[in-house]
Amino acid sequence: MHSFTYSTARSVDEAIALVGDKGRYLAGGIDLLAELKDYLVTPAPDILVNVKRVGQPGGPAGGAGDAKMGLLNGIVHVAPAGKEGEAYKLGANVTIAEVAANAALKKAFPGLTHAAGEVGSTQIRNVATLAGNLLQHSRCWYYRHPDVTCQKKGGDKCLARDGENRYHALFTGGSCVTVAASNMAMVLTALDAKATVRRGKETVTLSMPDLYAKAWTDAAAHHSLAPQDFLTSVTVPTLRKRSAYRQQSERKEFDWALVSCAAAGNVNGGVLTDARVVLGCVAPIPYMSLEVNNFLQGKPLNEATATAAADMLLKGARPLSQNGYKVPLAQALVKRALLALNETAG
Amino acid sequence: MPTLPDHTPIAAAALGQGRGPQAAKAEILWPTPARVLSTDVLRVDAREKVTGEAKYASDVQPPGWLYAMILRSRWAAAKVTAIDTSEALKVPGVKSIVLAGGEQRRVRYYGTELAAVAATSKQACLDALRAIKVTAEPLPFVVDERDAMKEDAPRVFDGPNLSAPGVKQEGDVANALSSAAAVVEGELSTQVQIHHPLESHGNTIVVKDDGATVWASTQGIFSVRDGIAGNLKLPQSNVQVICDYMGGGFGAKFGPGVEGGLAARLSKETGLPVKLMLTRLEEGLAVGNRPSSIQKIKMGASADGKLTAFEAETVGTPGTGGGGETAGGSGGANVATPYIYKVPNFKVQQRAVATNAGASRAFRAPAHPQGSFGTECMLDDLAVKLGIDPVEIRILNDPGENRRKEYALGRDKFGWKEKYKKPGSSPGPIKTGVGCAGATWGGGGRGTRAEAQINSDGTVEVRVGTQDLGTGSRTLVAMVAAEAFGIRPDQVVARIGDTRFPPSGASGGSTTTASLCPGVWDACQNALAELKTRSGMADVAGPNWAVACRKIGINPISAQGEWKQGLSSSGSGGVQFVEVEVDTDTGYIRVKKVLALMDCGLIVNTLTTTSQINSGIIMGMSYALHEERVMDKATGVVLNHSFDTYKITNLADTPEIECILLNMPERGVIGIAEVSNVPTASAIANAVANAIGVRVPSLPITPAKVLAALGKVPKMSA
Repeated sequence: MHSFTYSTARSVDEAIALVGDKGRYLAGGIDLLAELKDYLVTPAPDILVNVKRVGQPGGPAGGAGDAKMGLLNGIVHVAPAGKEGEAYKLGANVTIAEVAANAALKKAFPGLTHAAGEVGSTQIRNVATLAGNLLQHSRCWYYRHPDVTCQKKGGDKCLARDGENRYHALFTGGSCVTVAASNMAMVLTALDAKATVRRGKETVTLSMPDLYAKAWTDAAAHHSLAPQDFLTSVTVPTLRKRSAYRQQSERKEFDWALVSCAAAGNVNGGVLTDARVVLGCVAPIPYMSLEVNNFLQGKPLNEATATAAADMLLKGARPLSQNGYKVPLAQALVKRALLALNETAG
Repeated sequence: MPTLPDHTPIAAAALGQGRGPQAAKAEILWPTPARVLSTDVLRVDAREKVTGEAKYASDVQPPGWLYAMILRSRWAAAKVTAIDTSEALKVPGVKSIVLAGGEQRRVRYYGTELAAVAATSKQACLDALRAIKVTAEPLPFVVDERDAMKEDAPRVFDGPNLSAPGVKQEGDVANALSSAAAVVEGELSTQVQIHHPLESHGNTIVVKDDGATVWASTQGIFSVRDGIAGNLKLPQSNVQVICDYMGGGFGAKFGPGVEGGLAARLSKETGLPVKLMLTRLEEGLAVGNRPSSIQKIKMGASADGKLTAFEAETVGTPGTGGGGETAGGSGGANVATPYIYKVPNFKVQQRAVATNAGASRAFRAPAHPQGSFGTECMLDDLAVKLGIDPVEIRILNDPGENRRKEYALGRDKFGWKEKYKKPGSSPGPIKTGVGCAGATWGGGGRGTRAEAQINSDGTVEVRVGTQDLGTGSRTLVAMVAAEAFGIRPDQVVARIGDTRFPPSGASGGSTTTASLCPGVWDACQNALAELKTRSGMADVAGPNWAVACRKIGINPISAQGEWKQGLSSSGSGGVQFVEVEVDTDTGYIRVKKVLALMDCGLIVNTLTTTSQINSGIIMGMSYALHEERVMDKATGVVLNHSFDTYKITNLADTPEIECILLNMPERGVIGIAEVSNVPTASAIANAVANAIGVRVPSLPITPAKVLAALGKVPKMSA
């Protein structure tokens, strides 16, 4: 890899100052170092800023970190149960394993903890962070190949579109057919979570669709954030009492989903309200349709409703030469995730 | 000793139907009943391996060692005109750069070795590789075997891509097909599988003026020795190859390889030790693979299920290892078909097609898994068509007496009669199915010498110039000596993995155990005879051992011995039963259970034998469901060079495996490694077809292919 400076930040302000305009933040380090070793990141960063110590109490730079942001490694219940604005705030550095094992989250958002449990392997979940999972880069094998220049790396065309595309997108707003593969993104989109991002001096709040919108059309983008933007936390409202996640991979464990589906909503007397259904690994962004969400409002939660929603969500799919199987697979997972909302367990 | 209820050695005679024809006349040369042999003995080096104390080729760090890495062609086909290393040599830490095959040359696949660099750090190597300027004229190429067969395809070599057909025939197949009661036909295909041993290829090498020492990850210490000696023009006697431990080879690690030759030259140039281990990406390119196959098969039988006709046309790609001007590599891409079956009328026509891809190499039972898949799938389809139970049709047609017994025994153990249902008839979206298949392999031994030394304190050393490919060689040496001397395996120090020990063959063809055990046994018998002479005691075993040894005197007893026919023989076999669950909504296959009934003569160590069978089954499952090299037609690169997309079956998918070993001491020792790998994929494919009622004709059987076979995948939109 190219050489770089390594620095540890104690606060978000310090991290932003250190990262400059050519640096990268380093948290779990699951993928960034691998990308650097394969020379995939251009231009190569001149500094890696370790953000694992941001807001950690007792560090040499001391203090409780950035008070406005709260601790980056905490899971906090915001506003008491039943009150307006009740939510959980998940710090950026919370590990996927912590999400998967958190008892309160398991009760409030079973789909979220289920999805966390499906990320990578035990070893990866123990180290990988929430922000790293949300902002992960494409797994497209053309993007990942050190000797291939695809559109995502500045090449003039998407090589998967007419090439080996079994793992690629059914939907895209541009020409790149990579897929968003973050498990957490799918469930957090279904739960209508909001991401808090420090952008220079400002703090901005992005909806999950906003967090990914740029990747829909811009082949070079993996998400909407600039390398200097600092995602500090994700706030998940408890408005939806039911959530579920289903994914199908080629292998049972430690494998990317071929397709994943997250659903969330409320179920009262067998009737669905506030429902959201999101598909993963079928588009460069978490794929959701307002039309489908609206259709589900007030519908009885049964096989017929789930089937109709699944068909509607896959209506505009544009399969490539090798990924047509994702259509029936996605339909099956939409049905299973929606029907799982009948259960409290997710 | 832990008890392991998942495997059950049983005497073949206990099967009731008498012994095989060889058994009837064979004299039993191994002790019966054995005291140590045919029991569970933990690997003598298990502790070293688990704690990390075991030193592999990549762990060795001779003083002053350098890292080395290889520059490979970025082009799938090109005429290289210049390789400029001047800038690279200026990179701090770089000590030497050597070219792999001259400056001007043709390259025929992505990953061809062009040069290698040695430097004081890995990063310096990487920087140097990026600083080497290669000028080349790209040429047209073809990486897909179906494309390569087309008339206007780019030629990989000067000659045509497609080799002339090799034809074998007997009887009148056309007539037999037209008069058969039932005929099935299909096109079955298998993928290119990459060996991907977890320890990559490579060596640590020290070359001095008068000789060399090589720590190799190899299946053949003597073939590495001879290769390096030839490469450096050194006397073979002055090259020592050491392989104390190695992390898998599967047929891809016989010689020093291009990487070994480059490391040796770099060490010679620099006068320093050089370590060159390949990266995972490189493992996917240039160090072997199992050729693909496309098999068009017609199979016919009489109404009672007896096979009468078999016709096959096959083609596969061994990459640059076959077709055109070479017939090297794996020797083409032929498959073993109609595999274990003897069909009176058959015609088999086989060809290889060259592609711009790394050459194939021998891979755990070369030609067998492909041949088994084509034949066993068609046989099941034929059984269904005739309304005959798949186990019945095999017992009817399989010429192997042991396998027929294994089918009969396995059918009951597995509960086949209760589990086998009409294809696709299990209710609900998640369907269960069962399948079975059989396999054969040689696995005989060959010339090995061994040396046994008995010291006056009763300790024993046995030296054999073999290597442990993972089968537990060191443990087997200790067990055989312990059996011979009437002592415990832990009283024996087994020394292997060094060309300074008496020679044994390379570990290929499931021959290692059958080669070294007879050699060790013979050496121990000779040592034992001398101990009896020196001690003047007729019985030196067990409680007498220490007393007898004290009488040895100053010079330890040292005796040699050699492999002898009869202590080993050839012809291992087995059958496997599989139960699967297929989710017809998602296409996901769960292998629930595999029952293996295997025979390999005398079982030396039931624990390591079972371990071999487990590994064969898991690898076979991986071939059936997960592994596949994916190449890009437009760029010629291997796309899935990393384990997140080159998928290998992992523990979560590994099914319950039950092994029943048929112990036949009268046959001597026979290898089990390859035969255990062969039938798994075929049995899984048959179980999937039984579950969903439709044949998935190509490996690996992915969710995408299951959904397609079920007719659930929509036509592509324009």
